[in-house]
Amino acid sequence: MEQARLSFHEEIRKNKISSFFLIGIVLVVLLALFYTIGFAMGGDYFFIIIILGTIIAIVYVTAGYYKSADLAIASVNAKKATGPEYRQYNNIVEGLCLASGLPKPKLYVMHDQQINAFASGRDPQHAVICVTDGAIAKLPKHELEGVLAHELSHIANYDIRFMTLTAVLVGMVAIISQIFLRTLFWSSVTGGRRSNSGGDGKGQMIMMVIGIALAILAPIVVALVQLAISRKREYAADSSAVKFMRTPTGLIGALRKIQDNTPMKVSGAVAPLFLAKPTKEKEWFQTHPPLAKRIARLERM
Amino acid sequence: MITWIIIALVIVIGTTFFLYYNRFVRLSHQIDNSLAQIDVQLKKRSDLIPNLLSAVKGYMKHERAAIKEVTDARKALVGATGVEAKMKAGNQLQSALKSIFAIAEGYPDLKANTNFLQLQQELSAIEDKVAYARQYYNDGIMSYNVMTTVVPGMWFAKMYGFNKREYLKIAEAERAVPKVEF
Repeated sequence: MEQARLSFHEEIRKNKISSFFLIGIVLVVLLALFYTIGFAMGGDYFFIIIILGTIIAIVYVTAGYYKSADLAIASVNAKKATGPEYRQYNNIVEGLCLASGLPKPKLYVMHDQQINAFASGRDPQHAVICVTDGAIAKLPKHELEGVLAHELSHIANYDIRFMTLTAVLVGMVAIISQIFLRTLFWSSVTGGRRSNSGGDGKGQMIMMVIGIALAILAPIVVALVQLAISRKREYAADSSAVKFMRTPTGLIGALRKIQDNTPMKVSGAVAPLFLAKPTKEKEWFQTHPPLAKRIARLERM
Repeated sequence: MITWIIIALVIVIGTTFFLYYNRFVRLSHQIDNSLAQIDVQLKKRSDLIPNLLSAVKGYMKHERAAIKEVTDARKALVGATGVEAKMKAGNQLQSALKSIFAIAEGYPDLKANTNFLQLQQELSAIEDKVAYARQYYNDGIMSYNVMTTVVPGMWFAKMYGFNKREYLKIAEAERAVPKVEF
């Protein structure tokens, strides 16, 4: 037990450090992006863009830290789980909170017929759990309990902080880079001839190339970093879910049913947050370990 | 140089003393808190009983014995002092409730009563919560007892007067009993 607690603390510490570095990296990447954009636009705009960009980057990262859970909830259009039809859902979470010593997170429901769930927030005091209609309708009580225990483990381990930050911050970097790429494309089509004359144009071309490279690379690099870590998190959350419930059968049953899921309509940015991958992904970009492997692991417990 | 080493040593040893004291205190608080949680759930359970009985009475006129059993068990729970006694009374009440719910199976009108269904669901949730709170309590006791028996925690425990604490052993079987499905 003491050993388990120690490794628990280790996970939490790692997640806090990772979150800190993630914020730092995103901040640097954003600043670099704006700097590049400033150079590409050139001349008078340079300083304005740099100053504006710095302000935007800082506001963005701060808002991402404090509002990430709200963003994740809003992006799947979830509503609060109140009312008699969600009584059991509330009861199960209250019970599991007693088992884990966590405060009760805010509970949400999103409209989707597939069985899935995710947790988000910056720490256990500001955590949310969201499940699909499908999970509430299709899962019997002990299987829903297994799913919720898995999500509560993500909260207890501070996985939610790192994963939500990644989803929100990286998702946005991808969008910004995309905008940058598009405007560059258009300006090179319309103003391509003019920039060919003189040394200044050459400098602009180089910046453009760097800008494009950055715009393409930035999200890929950060996404790969995230992928490398989140598979392990799922296994860890599975095993602490078993610790809370003292039996793996509920979660096994739920995962078996999830194998029949069809893809859901959610943004790619929040996809890694989910209990099981909601969208079709290529093997290479998988954020979750295969369900069969997770079930096999649970069966050995 | 030597004075610095001595100062450093004093600081390290001093912090260790503080850290261990705090760990014991923190764990004790966790344990006390989970006990309080068990208490809260047992209280909720006994508070729901009158509602349940008034919902049931109209239908189960001939089941006096079962209803009396529940009333008695509730009285015992309200009157009980100390966790062990309360847990015991709580378990008795739970098993009395089980027979009520089993009897209710034979009354289709009662089973269609939403008020009754809600109470049944609520009581079953409380049963789960009691079990979970007890599990957390025992987890806390385990960490605490491990800390009071291993070196160097043992030395600090003796010094600060933190003694080993008891598990809640009774009614481990409660969780294994099949739940009332609805």
